[in-house]
Amino acid sequence: MSALLSLRRIGKSFGGLSALSDISFDVHPGEIVGVIGPNGAGKTTLFNVVTAVFPPTAGEVLFDGERIGGLPPHAITKRGVTRTFQNIRLFSAMTVEENVMVGRHCRTGAGVWGGVLRTQRERREEQGIRGKARELLDLVGLPGADRDRIAGSLPYGHQRRLEIARALAAEPRLLLLDEPVAGMNDAETQDVFRLIRRVQSLGVTILLIEHDMSLVMKACDRLVVFNFGRKIAEGAPAEIRDDPLVIEAYLGAGGGGADA
Amino acid sequence: MPLEWLNPYHLQVGSFVLINAILGASIYVTLSTGQLSLGNAGFMSIGAYAAALLSTHHQVPIPVGVLAGSLLAGAAGILVGIPALRLSGVYLAIATLGFGEVLRAVLINWESLTGGAVGIAAIPQMGRVILAWASDRGFSPGSLGLQRNQFISLTVFLILLLCTILTVAFFLRLSRSRVGRAYAAIRSDERAAEAAGIPITYYKVLAFSQGALLSGFAGALFAHSTSFVSPGDFTYHRAVEILVFAVFGGSEQILGPVFGAAFLTVLPEALRPISDYRYILYGILLVVMMVFRPQGVIDPALVRRLRRSGKGTPA
Repeated sequence: MSALLSLRRIGKSFGGLSALSDISFDVHPGEIVGVIGPNGAGKTTLFNVVTAVFPPTAGEVLFDGERIGGLPPHAITKRGVTRTFQNIRLFSAMTVEENVMVGRHCRTGAGVWGGVLRTQRERREEQGIRGKARELLDLVGLPGADRDRIAGSLPYGHQRRLEIARALAAEPRLLLLDEPVAGMNDAETQDVFRLIRRVQSLGVTILLIEHDMSLVMKACDRLVVFNFGRKIAEGAPAEIRDDPLVIEAYLGAGGGGADA
Repeated sequence: MPLEWLNPYHLQVGSFVLINAILGASIYVTLSTGQLSLGNAGFMSIGAYAAALLSTHHQVPIPVGVLAGSLLAGAAGILVGIPALRLSGVYLAIATLGFGEVLRAVLINWESLTGGAVGIAAIPQMGRVILAWASDRGFSPGSLGLQRNQFISLTVFLILLLCTILTVAFFLRLSRSRVGRAYAAIRSDERAAEAAGIPITYYKVLAFSQGALLSGFAGALFAHSTSFVSPGDFTYHRAVEILVFAVFGGSEQILGPVFGAAFLTVLPEALRPISDYRYILYGILLVVMMVFRPQGVIDPALVRRLRRSGKGTPA
């Protein structure tokens, strides 16, 4: 099976500081792959390279067999890679529904005149956008009563779900989730876990950064472990759990192979 | 005389209110993608001079000249907007202010085309042109109970009113469309907007040039209302005045700068009886506003409240 996302010897340095070096791994269609590692290991930097927030200083990113390096972020979204952010980035003054509607941008086409003249085509398209937005809000479990609320006024957990709905609105084939359960309690974490599985069942491949080990072990088909900007391990959750290098990265040298 | 209140002075103040309202809308449009442009006085001068020159030197009909002036200003907006994209916030404001001043220096020094510091006089005035046209066909303002100069001022006012209403309606509709959502998303968070699939460069240049086009439109209407333009009409003071419309009225809704323009244009006129103190009062008002309502008079919360109370009252 050919890879959906293929990272080849990715390197990224800021000035003299190396944030990522020699990162290579593949993500196959339909998988949920977890990226784990201590803080500062380069996980979010990797997401930023894939979504072209900044270009890598070495190596290349292939999506569906094509190089996507050099494309602007919106073009990558249009190809089918969308993301959420570690520190939630909603359009906080817009309503919940509008946030998701913005996510439909690259799958729709009305321009200035369509919008001003309200052509029949434009009205049909708007209806479609609204319908899709509501469908996605239902999927992520945001109740209809919240649709017209200002996004910034939602409780924290709901903001995370809303961000996922917005990312799904662009019909991604690959969804990058950056710590989707950070700061959530156990019940909320379980909800998000179920949501991730639902999204996977819709045919979306998922790359997930997460610190919650129980979630990662349960949700992911495969894990990639980073430390100091390098990949130190890759494999099934059970293998990773027992990998001495990983244990050392998390517990420090000499920490012993106890019940990590 | 029953229509005495309809005097040319009131109508002229009204006309300036409307031209300023369009200028207020122009800064709103650029701001709606989070870009602060102080170049709108410059773009206004492009529209004004283009329309004035076309009608005085080339006998182009006024509507065609207004359209050409607006489009030329919009095209200049694209040229300025693309390099200006590298800047944001106060740096963009300063660069666009510089653009306006450079343009004014060109207007002053290119005497063979622009008439230099003296400017261009005897530009066909909309009201007079329409009156002449109607008189040729046997119409007399007296048949409406109006004097000639009343009719002229009223015609100008009504044309500007129509232009302002169309402008506001255009951008109200745009703000509730796919393009408007893209603008709002960019203003809120550029990084997130990009990630959501919005080509931000395209929309920022589009908004910038729409703002420039509107400024040019206001400038062209100004030229054909006053029949005289000079570089002195498009100074740094004008640029700041336009900014104040948005700051005072509120910049998150198009009605904010339009209201700001109307209020701040009428205020100095209304305060004429205390002429010596009126600009002191104007200044105090701005300071008080910034302290107690820095978001401007009209903000989204106010609009929501008005809409709700509007729905609440039985018909």
